[in-house]
Amino acid sequence: MRWLDSFAESSTRTMANRTSRRGFLGSIGAFLIGTSAQLLLPVARGAHAADSQGAAKPGGAKPDNSQDPTSCEYWRHCAIDGYLCGCCGGSQTACPPGTEQSAVTWVGTCHNPADGRDYVVSYNDCCGKSTCGRCLCNRNERDTPLYAPFESNDYNWCSGSSKANIPYHCSTARIVAVAK
Amino acid sequence: MRPGTFALVVLGVCWASADAYEPRINYMLQCMGCHTPDGSGEPGRVPSIRETLAPFALSAQGRRFLVQVPGAAQSRLSDAELAALLNWMIQSLSRLRPAHFRLFTATEVASYRRDPLVEVRATRERLLRSTGVAGRAPGNGLGLK
Amino acid sequence: MTMKASAFARPGSIAVALLLALGYLTAWAVPPPLPADPLGTVVSLPPASPHWVWVNDFVFPHMADGQALLLDGDNGHFLGMLSTGYGFSRLVLAKDGKLVFSPETYFSRGTRGTRTDVVTMYDPTRLAPVGEITIPPKRSSNMPMMGDAELTDDGRFLLIYNFTPAQSVTVVDAQSHKLAGEIETAGCALVYPTGPRSFFSICADGSLLNVHLDNSGRATARVRTARMFDVAKDPVTEKGVRIGDAWQFVSYGAVMYPVEITKDGGLLPGTTWPLVTPAERAEQWRPGGLQQLAAHTGLNRLYAIMHRGGPETHKDPGKDVWVYDLARHARIQQIAMKNPSGSIQVTRDPQPLLFSACIESTTLDVYDATTGAWLRSVQNVGTTPTLLITP
Repeated sequence: MRWLDSFAESSTRTMANRTSRRGFLGSIGAFLIGTSAQLLLPVARGAHAADSQGAAKPGGAKPDNSQDPTSCEYWRHCAIDGYLCGCCGGSQTACPPGTEQSAVTWVGTCHNPADGRDYVVSYNDCCGKSTCGRCLCNRNERDTPLYAPFESNDYNWCSGSSKANIPYHCSTARIVAVAK
Repeated sequence: MRPGTFALVVLGVCWASADAYEPRINYMLQCMGCHTPDGSGEPGRVPSIRETLAPFALSAQGRRFLVQVPGAAQSRLSDAELAALLNWMIQSLSRLRPAHFRLFTATEVASYRRDPLVEVRATRERLLRSTGVAGRAPGNGLGLK
Repeated sequence: MTMKASAFARPGSIAVALLLALGYLTAWAVPPPLPADPLGTVVSLPPASPHWVWVNDFVFPHMADGQALLLDGDNGHFLGMLSTGYGFSRLVLAKDGKLVFSPETYFSRGTRGTRTDVVTMYDPTRLAPVGEITIPPKRSSNMPMMGDAELTDDGRFLLIYNFTPAQSVTVVDAQSHKLAGEIETAGCALVYPTGPRSFFSICADGSLLNVHLDNSGRATARVRTARMFDVAKDPVTEKGVRIGDAWQFVSYGAVMYPVEITKDGGLLPGTTWPLVTPAERAEQWRPGGLQQLAAHTGLNRLYAIMHRGGPETHKDPGKDVWVYDLARHARIQQIAMKNPSGSIQVTRDPQPLLFSACIESTTLDVYDATTGAWLRSVQNVGTTPTLLITP
């Protein structure tokens, strides 16, 4: 699901601004799966990058979360926009029980720093239940308006699923191929 | 495939810029999201292109349509990249592979692409009938094997 | 209780005064019982004020419970609401004020089952449905946009954008309350009315699809214009606003691209004009938000939500609303908003209000649209407010 960027990005950013960082993260800390609370903030771009990176541990380097599938900074999530299925009973490639993976989807390319390759990543949504509500993550690279649908994250891509027309639940990030 | 055709295919790929992706990757990035990995689409929502790619490529109006359909014409690909992609799709995704067909070139693609197509559904239906895809078993007298 | 000075002096008068005081005190200590209230009383709304506002809300965490909330901008009163189904986008107000149209989606079991799309018609004085028109179950599910549904200029036809991912427009006869048909708009999105029987959609190559209708709502012409803007270099957002015979669109790079409607219903690109100075552009000032532009026809003013940020921040809310005179293309005012703003709208009357909401906030802010003065804020408005609509 690639249509949540304004809600997701501004939601967490504004909440981080309004509440103490500890309070914001503490209130949703229960949803984390053994990861540092800092990872819940979506990766912000440009002028807002400071917000998400401001919580670096004192005295230490910023941790590399690019290999952590439950993190917004996970390398495959470079263009994801929705709830991470891994927090919803599914995984980065599999849908949670009782939902259906939409074949119609948005596709992008992401760089994996672990092996230095670019991969084609397909963000198939899982559909059929109300929104999962956990691990909202949005990254907004190369997004286009609704009139250019191929790269628009503002559509509910669950609408393209044959058994559906059904509600958006969460997003996966499937590797399709090495991009070359 | 005739040697000349093969050479054209190789040259088409090599002349693409260093930053360009292979046609099969462009298919993934520009088309697969709706047409699905093997081109079969979603019944009732996204038409299968596996039955129509080859017959359309053998017809003058069909070739025009393959370029002008909005998903192709309005993709981020250059004329050369779109030509290479169409050639790859015809040879890789068609249910029945054509024995030989005239490869798309950037020039041919550009000539159709300048002219946006408005009547997409009606044009496609006309082509389905005129190429014999609609209501007939594919491969019937079309030189397809 | 008053007493003449002379009466107060006499003993009999003192007794009367004491008795009265005692009676008064007794009455104050044990008031008479309250009468029973009638059952079944329902408030009926007065005629719409131009200072009312509908706050559309797709209730993102619970999208089956779409809502539209009605508030009075003059006093902050919450007047009532409509419940509007799954993936709600926006209401469309009939031009004569007698009906509210709402394109809606329902599943037979809430979040699963058979999908039905309808245009529900609501009585605006009772905020209750009075009928519905079944439409093809194809209406686009997307981040709410004004261009998801609009009436033609004379209010005769309701246009609804479909995405399956095939793109088309459903046409509903708003007079007879019947489905009129569906128009294929392949490669193009959303609806922007240009006249009593015409609208355009924006196409992915930067051109427009100009559609003309007959009196039955069928398309008589569908023509692609030349490209109005460069999609690769500086795309416009979908969030254009209409002023008179022009639509004004803003690009990611803070440039205005007007689309002019000619007398014979053609579409021409107007002269582009910048919202920022070169120095401001260097500081990365750009528009942002979900409903980022508003226009007041009478004052000939454009309002834009602005913020500083990189190119990917083109949907970010901002704490500034900049105001422009459309005759001179000059900025005349900069309003510092009380709270981050993602959606703005102005009322149409000569003393307009400016409303501001934000998707991650439930506070609606009200300003004087002429002076920029903050007037009031209303708390607890919706869940994830999206589009603001004024009568």
